[in-house]
Amino acid sequence: MTYAIFLFGLCFVFGLLLVASNPSPYYGVLGLLMASAVGGGFLVGVGSSFLSVILFLIYSGGMLVVFAYSVALAADFYPEAWGSRSVAVNLVVFLSLLVFVGSGFSWGLSKKGVGEETVDFGGISLIRGDFGGVAILYDFGCSVLVVSGWVLLVALFVVLELTRGQSRGSLRAV
Amino acid sequence: MHPSITSLLLIALSTSTIITMSSYHWMFAWAGLEINMLSMLPLISKEHHPRAVEATMKYFMTQAAASAMLIFASTINAWQTAQWDISLLTPSTPMMMLTLAITMKLGLAPFHFWLPEVSLGTTNSVMLIITTWQKLAPLAIIILLHNSLNHHLLTSLGLLSMVVGGWGGMNQLQIRKIMAYSSIAHMGWVVMILPKAPDLSLLYLMLYIMLNLTMFLIIISTALTKLTSLFSTQNKSFPMMILMALTLLSMGGLPPMTGFLPKWLILQELIYQHQTQMATLASLSTLLSLFFYLRLVFNAFLTTPPNTSNVTKNWRNQTNHHILLPQMMILSLMLLIITPLVISLF
Repeated sequence: MTYAIFLFGLCFVFGLLLVASNPSPYYGVLGLLMASAVGGGFLVGVGSSFLSVILFLIYSGGMLVVFAYSVALAADFYPEAWGSRSVAVNLVVFLSLLVFVGSGFSWGLSKKGVGEETVDFGGISLIRGDFGGVAILYDFGCSVLVVSGWVLLVALFVVLELTRGQSRGSLRAV
Repeated sequence: MHPSITSLLLIALSTSTIITMSSYHWMFAWAGLEINMLSMLPLISKEHHPRAVEATMKYFMTQAAASAMLIFASTINAWQTAQWDISLLTPSTPMMMLTLAITMKLGLAPFHFWLPEVSLGTTNSVMLIITTWQKLAPLAIIILLHNSLNHHLLTSLGLLSMVVGGWGGMNQLQIRKIMAYSSIAHMGWVVMILPKAPDLSLLYLMLYIMLNLTMFLIIISTALTKLTSLFSTQNKSFPMMILMALTLLSMGGLPPMTGFLPKWLILQELIYQHQTQMATLASLSTLLSLFFYLRLVFNAFLTTPPNTSNVTKNWRNQTNHHILLPQMMILSLMLLIITPLVISLF
């Protein structure tokens, strides 16, 4: 299991690198999808299956919407994948950075060991920690729920205001 | 923007600062900062020209990076100590990260580049919000934490931003940009004294907000944009220019006015704590800021424009100033005479 989790973690970071190396949105969304899928796998590996489902559904759902939107707005005639020069240079630079930083971090992590700890509460309840956390959120964590709902509402209006159509918005197809 | 959306954003702006200030858990503090940042974005890009959008992007990038760093720091802290309380941030790595994140949010010296850029892209009133209200939430967090934060880091960042604020504002022609650099320099004072005397840091912040509010109310009511537009404003409202000059001298910290009060107390505190070198450095770097304030003062009423003016001198004063302006003017000029009362508030 340790190896599987390590593989998931590696693929997660690599998926993010695929996005960060700045390809066209068509291809960038593939990296994001990969990151969300293996991120879900990572979460299952450390024991929170419910969070993994939430992450995968919401993240890939949101990503697909963003994908459709960005393709509609910025349709390149010559989309750049990871083979084209600028993207490839970015990818190589980020990969070498990842090796340096990652080796430092894995040295730090090696004291604890990835995959040794899970989110299970050791036998004190019938359900897993992530389910329990959701129940707590709706029970005495209601103030957090209210604040989170308020954040989402504000974010909705902010996005609508920033991407307003016609001549008033700041985001335009050129 | 539709008025109801503006009011929603303003409500979010004010409640988020209060959420951050009153929170005891890192998640809440972070959520407050995020709402704060989000509700600021449409206000910055209210005028839809490309520069405003650019300013919005710059604001978003820096603030989002700072928020991400803050949540990262608190997560590492929770990982190492199993504590989510704000006051229990003990390990040194997350503490450094948190200090840098807050520094980025405040626009202190190594991370100050966004502030002058954003200041030129927005309107005067939004810049007023950025330089006053937006400082409160991050400062509330570091004031809560002032005992456990790294003193050397805070002090050196404070001194650095005093110097950078002074030097950066030196050759600027745009008044809003000058105000942005002056904000960087003043925040340097606030952060420098924070580890030594947090009450003085609060006092400085309050008086700075007062002075800045006065200055921006003048700028808004006379529609000033750049240094040369001071010449035509001379003809339109001469008394206003004299009062602006006095407010600027007060910001520079000259003795008979309010701005001298916090600087005096801070320098005294530094000398009491045997940090004379730091007091010297701080007062010398304020001279840099004083230089560009003096340039504004010179252009405001000490000189006549080299060309003939297109407008005649008004025989009566303009009355379109903000209703708060006279009160704020009195507060920002004459508070030194009630120094004991002001100190007793903190």
